[in-house]
Amino acid sequence: MKYGFVLFFFSSVCFSQAPVVDATGREIRPPAKVERVYAAGPPAGLLVFAIAPDKLTGWTREMRPNEAQFFDDKYARLPELGRLTGRGNTANVEVILRARTDLIVDVGSTGATLASLAAQVQEQTKIPYALFDGRMEATPAALRSIGKLMGDEPTAQNLAAWYEGQLKDVKQRVARASYHPLVYYGRGSAGLQTGGRGSINVEILDFLGARNAAAEARAGLVTVSFEQVILWDPEVIITTDPNYWASVWTDPRWRAVKAVAAKRVYLSPHLPFGWFDFPPGANRLLGLWWAGKLLYPREFGVDLRAKVSEFHRLFYHREPTGAQLDALLDEPGVLPK
Amino acid sequence: MLKVESLAFGFPGRTVGRDVSFELAAGEVMCVLGPNGGGKTTLFRTVLGLLEKHSGSITLDGRPIESLSRAGIARLIGYVPQGHSGYFAYTVLDFVLMGRTAHLGIFSAPSAKDHGVALRALESLGMAHLAERPVTEISGGERQLALVARALAQEPRLLVLDEPTASLDFGNQVRVLERMAALGRTGISILFSSHDPDHAFLCAERALLLAEGRALEIGAPREVIRADTMQRLYGVSVQVVALAAGGHTCLPSLNGR
Amino acid sequence: MSGRALSYLLAAGALLALTALAFAVGRYPVSLGEIAALLFSKVTGSPHSLPANVETVVLQVRGPRVLAALVVGAALAAAGTAYQGMFRNPLVSPDILGVSTGAALGAVLGIFFSQGVFVIQMLAFAGGLAAVGLVYWIGSRLRGHDPLLALVLTGVVIGTLLGSAIALLKYLADPYNQLPAITYWLLGSLASISPRDLSVAAPLALLGLAPMLMLRWRMNLLALPDDEARALGVDTRKLRTVVVAAATLMTAAAVAVSGIIGWVGLLIPHAARLLVGPDFGRLLPLAMLLGAAFLLAVDTLCRTIAPIEVPPGVLTALIGTPFFLWLFALARRSW
Repeated sequence: MKYGFVLFFFSSVCFSQAPVVDATGREIRPPAKVERVYAAGPPAGLLVFAIAPDKLTGWTREMRPNEAQFFDDKYARLPELGRLTGRGNTANVEVILRARTDLIVDVGSTGATLASLAAQVQEQTKIPYALFDGRMEATPAALRSIGKLMGDEPTAQNLAAWYEGQLKDVKQRVARASYHPLVYYGRGSAGLQTGGRGSINVEILDFLGARNAAAEARAGLVTVSFEQVILWDPEVIITTDPNYWASVWTDPRWRAVKAVAAKRVYLSPHLPFGWFDFPPGANRLLGLWWAGKLLYPREFGVDLRAKVSEFHRLFYHREPTGAQLDALLDEPGVLPK
Repeated sequence: MLKVESLAFGFPGRTVGRDVSFELAAGEVMCVLGPNGGGKTTLFRTVLGLLEKHSGSITLDGRPIESLSRAGIARLIGYVPQGHSGYFAYTVLDFVLMGRTAHLGIFSAPSAKDHGVALRALESLGMAHLAERPVTEISGGERQLALVARALAQEPRLLVLDEPTASLDFGNQVRVLERMAALGRTGISILFSSHDPDHAFLCAERALLLAEGRALEIGAPREVIRADTMQRLYGVSVQVVALAAGGHTCLPSLNGR
Repeated sequence: MSGRALSYLLAAGALLALTALAFAVGRYPVSLGEIAALLFSKVTGSPHSLPANVETVVLQVRGPRVLAALVVGAALAAAGTAYQGMFRNPLVSPDILGVSTGAALGAVLGIFFSQGVFVIQMLAFAGGLAAVGLVYWIGSRLRGHDPLLALVLTGVVIGTLLGSAIALLKYLADPYNQLPAITYWLLGSLASISPRDLSVAAPLALLGLAPMLMLRWRMNLLALPDDEARALGVDTRKLRTVVVAAATLMTAAAVAVSGIIGWVGLLIPHAARLLVGPDFGRLLPLAMLLGAAFLLAVDTLCRTIAPIEVPPGVLTALIGTPFFLWLFALARRSW
């Protein structure tokens, strides 16, 4: 009996944080107190910052002034540490070690390559490396797990519950809509790159039940020709490239498309983190509301300004000023005129 | 036709030869003899204007070489280099037609008249039957003659041939030497280099002995080609033998025999 | 009819047939009758009863693209032909002096700084010209070396330098947004050709072609060793400068609107030389015909075999290599 107590006592000290299983199936065992967290990419950075902004050791890329204006100064000026996995590795592992990191968090694709990369870095640095699914549906679960790992469960739980509520709200509105428009997502300065069926680039469209004009193309980023787009004849075009948006009104080749004739070509806001496609993180919640309003105006009679304010307050820890909201929403192409 | 006075020649920063002076009249044939590295090719390239002379003067047909353009020089001098096999597969006729360049305007292509000149050059060398063959598919000797034909197509007054018999078999060597002598008789001056003193005896009126960039002697072959000059030039002992039928020949004495 | 004349006729015929075919096929269904009616109405100025989309597809999208494929294919083939003769090496491509790498750097810079299509194209064009200008300037300052070798080595060195600058930019670029755009540009594509692209690139390519056509006989002399050509009366340095400038202008104009499409400039001059021999006057027109036809065929495939675009560089290699090997096996002449 005594030995049982001793065992229990020791085990609860050693494993004072209950292990969390990440998306790769590994048990992550962070130290007792997690004070410094390195986020391996922008989606992870967003979630860590939302839960416990003071624990984030840095951003993957230095913030530009037009992005920094949405954050408190001390957060905007966190150091640039580079990205660790995913597309384009710029982080120096020694820098991460030197920053006395307690935990590495990554949110995004969970394929075999990235999973093995996560295990490898953990092996190399002896710092626990947790990888979570970055899809929008999976964000609440990711929030909860990260919160548990960092020892900030209450905050994380609140955020997760709120996020879940938002997603549910969106789903219900979509369910009420009777007509699902045909949408083309045009990337690049010529607008001829798009996301095929099931591609992460058009996750928002899929979530909103919109019909992806490029659905017959394979998943992933693809290039298409003008003839193909004219043939698809989308009713709405969404883009993330301001050059393309500006050119679409004067280029005779785009005039043939229904969306252009009906003036339903929209440019996604991009500050401080893009709303629509990239970075593929929790920031896309705003894109959900924004695109929802554009595609289903009747069902999505929400106050977008209020939504933006609320999201910024919860995730960026700073409510935007009226002028900042104006600048975001009044940029040409963002909202129907 | 060609007058060279106190010529110093070489490469930028390095003088290979100096104090070379000679004159070549119309129809004269002169052979330049000398060891490898003695400056024969460099001298020829300087006379052709391909290398800048260091000092002295070169006069072509009474005009200083500096006053002539590339095309101007090409209308006066035809250059026959040592042939090689790395050419593209132009037909022999096209190859010889290239010799007409100096007579054409910048944007012009050869006319029927130019074709005529090229064909006649080939005929004079007995090569007309090869006109449509790719230049890469003829023998080494035929290629050397094609080079001569090309130079002739320039309708030059002076032909400069750099070791025209090198890498040719005996028969072809003789044929080339015959052509050179014949050309000399038509009034074209010939300047050629050789490593074989007998070539000078066979077809040259004058010989220039070039050692270390300096003209050792200039004069008629039977006067300048002697055992002592050959010893100085090539470091070997030879006998110069007069032939019963006239002429001379130069025989090396192997191991002093 | 001589073998050569037959080659020309066949090539020209193939080109016409291909062009008609290219106009007739595409993702958007348009019948030959509709095309004929449209062209007729445009020529006579009378109205037509076709839907507006058909006019847009034929005149704004497909038409410029077909013509651009012809122009780019011909330009790359011409430049490759000129360079293979000038460098006396059948393995030379138009990019040997770095025009494609320079254009790529210009375009990548444009994408990196989030510029529009026109600015990216201008930067690509300027980058191509600047790269070759730099290579030529440095190469001609290297005295005491065979001038061609100096050019080639400088081209390789500068090309590598520019390539590493491109690699650095790819590394620094935003991986979600800019990097895919850079990758697509480097793969090459005629998908976004506009009438304006054609109206700028075609005259520039013609401007580069003009000196080559006028000097076509004289360019044969560049196939000779430098000494021989000069002794024949040619100012080889000036001639080379003109050839390089002309070839660079044509290639830069092509690459600016199409991105990097490989193999056309390398394979087509070969194929043409196997058919008609090395005389530049006969070689150049045939190479241009074949280059135009080849790229048109490839691009037509790229835009019709799937809903998404296939990069033309992939197909030029896949189709060009076996075709070339077949031609090489058949040929009875050497280079």
